[in-house]
Amino acid sequence: MTTPGLDDATAELLAGSLREVLAEGGDLAAALAELGWAEVLADDPARATTLLFAEHGRALAHSRVLDDVLLAELAGALPAATGPRALLYPLHSDQPADPRGPLTGLLLGGLDGITEVVVPTALDAADAGDPADAGGATLRILPAELVAAATQPVRGFDTAAGWLTVSAAPAGAAGPATPAGEAWTRAVAAGRRALAAEIIGACEAALAIAVAHTSARVQYGRSIATFQAVRHRLAEAHVAVESLRSELTVAWGSAGQADGGAWAARLVKLRAGFAQAEVMRHAVQVCGAMGLSLESELHRFVARTAALDLLLGDYHTLAEQLGTELLAGAELEPVVAI
Amino acid sequence: MTTTTASGPTATEAAVTDPAVLRDDLDAYARGLRAWLASEPALDRWRGRHYPNTEERIADHGLLMGVLFRAGWNRYGWPESAGGLGGDERHRAVLYDGLAAAGLPIPAPHLMLETLGPPVVHFAPELAAAYLPAYLRGEQWWGQGFSEPEAGSDLASLRCRARREGDTYVLSGSKLWTSHGATSSRLVCLVRTGTPESRHRGLSMIMLDADAPGVTIRPIALASGENELAEVFFDDVVVPASNLVGEEGKGWAVAMYLLQWERAMYAWLSAADALRRLRDLRGQVATRLAAGARLPDGSAARLGAVYEQIIALRARSAATVRRLAAGDTVGPEASVDKVLLATVEISLFDLARDLLGTEFVLGATDEVRAWRNEWWFSRSATILGGSAEVQRTIIADHVLGLPKEAK
Repeated sequence: MTTPGLDDATAELLAGSLREVLAEGGDLAAALAELGWAEVLADDPARATTLLFAEHGRALAHSRVLDDVLLAELAGALPAATGPRALLYPLHSDQPADPRGPLTGLLLGGLDGITEVVVPTALDAADAGDPADAGGATLRILPAELVAAATQPVRGFDTAAGWLTVSAAPAGAAGPATPAGEAWTRAVAAGRRALAAEIIGACEAALAIAVAHTSARVQYGRSIATFQAVRHRLAEAHVAVESLRSELTVAWGSAGQADGGAWAARLVKLRAGFAQAEVMRHAVQVCGAMGLSLESELHRFVARTAALDLLLGDYHTLAEQLGTELLAGAELEPVVAI
Repeated sequence: MTTTTASGPTATEAAVTDPAVLRDDLDAYARGLRAWLASEPALDRWRGRHYPNTEERIADHGLLMGVLFRAGWNRYGWPESAGGLGGDERHRAVLYDGLAAAGLPIPAPHLMLETLGPPVVHFAPELAAAYLPAYLRGEQWWGQGFSEPEAGSDLASLRCRARREGDTYVLSGSKLWTSHGATSSRLVCLVRTGTPESRHRGLSMIMLDADAPGVTIRPIALASGENELAEVFFDDVVVPASNLVGEEGKGWAVAMYLLQWERAMYAWLSAADALRRLRDLRGQVATRLAAGARLPDGSAARLGAVYEQIIALRARSAATVRRLAAGDTVGPEASVDKVLLATVEISLFDLARDLLGTEFVLGATDEVRAWRNEWWFSRSATILGGSAEVQRTIIADHVLGLPKEAK
């Protein structure tokens, strides 16, 4: 494999530093600045992004670092920022909010210190000067305090993610709408690759818990990892993670295309969702009642990967969307070349 | 399936014909191959073609190999000393992918070539020089004699015996489930040269003629009725000692070496073919939909999921093929490729069965018969070449490092 920028030793060093910061729950943004992350990222975006998000997932961290990934793709389509920005994510897959109604969506964290919120909305026919843009996305910018007034902390499956739902933010207050062109498509693709990496990290951590538990836990006079039924579940979980890792490498290969490698990015997000379902199903089973308890860490990975799967499209939805397009005649792209 | 014969290769694509360039520049090889596949009219007879039985299919695929050989394309990836034109595994992988993308079958004899070719080239170059050229020309192919009636997943318990007598070995015993066994010219067998208790230490790999005196081959039909496999009996068959592949007693090492290709190259080859078959299936389903048929609930999601599984398999096996081409040893992690491959095969052909519905069960067209035959054959993906259970155990033992299973 070619590693243009980051060599193995540097990557390992960076991963170690990130792990330390994330374990202590320190200020990730400050730590990244100190590591000279912007340069690392420019040097080797694929490896740097994958490394950062895998550690983020492994540590069950919550931050708005995913916003940076999507906003970087959207920046060119937006007016200059008047201050720090956050992104409002669609509640359902990559479908932008309907601008005619009150705005809804997800925020990855509170809005303290944020000036404006970027809101992708469906492009109104009236806004689409060029009919070719219809059906695409348009970007609006809302003052952070207006959005903040419409937020509620997520009290769902994953209470630790620190996410907020936004309901009924006043769309009328949004500034001028900018057609996003392919910027939103690119942003979604970049976000999906980052999320796939985050799911890899979380899955690896959950699998490590399951391996450690089953190796140590003794029943019938032997560790339960010596039972074939247990071993084969863990092997299947490993296969799921490795296939995800390979597909992520492939997805990065087309990231430079005009649409940001959207096709392959959707595929890898689908695989990530499938992989987390597979890994968590097996891990929870082989950990026995311990896997269901608050006393084991495992439940936190189950809940977190479920939330990450939902963001920018869960795997059931993506499979159905993809299959519908294929039935309608979309090209069965080979995606991977030797 | 449409055929493209009108437009020839563009000037830039046609420019490279120098074998040394095609060997050293994989992109040039890929471009040249694509252009040739799109423009060679002789290939059309292999597109969308169905055969009355496996014997005719494999024979006709042999003729396709002849066409590929004369144009040079299936010689890349094999050493010149063995009838090839040099290059590495990536050339072969590009060929298989190119054939499938052009709506052509990957010739059936290439399956065993990918398994048996590399170890013969590596451990027995003189046998490769003598026999591989005819294989590449599609004039003959080989069968693999590993499993036995009492040695399936537990391969190291095999009993087929080779007794040394002067400059020869004398084989007695039998082999079972030999792919392409009924039509192979030569067999590459794992046999016991040590004591019955020597397990994997007393094994040797040897090549012999399928028509040598004392060899009896009984075709075995799968449930589809197709003679995909065979049982082979050896009744004091005399084989020159020079036909050993690797040293006496080192057969297990040769078998382990072989597994790298059997698991990785075969996975890539199968993924290429799976994508072609999914394209065929989509086309047939579109025709049925246009005729007013309804698909079962959830069909779209399953189609999307199977397509993605094929891409995941391609992603994984492409990386493994590149490692093989770079000379890396691919160890137990190749079982990941095999598990993914088996998952793809099972879900693709289950999908075909369900989407074709009534037609799959009742239909009598060649097309539907092919889907039924392949459905049965796809069931072997979790059995042949190391069962799904063996693969998972390898991953548990050697990749995850779990404590060993209780005996």
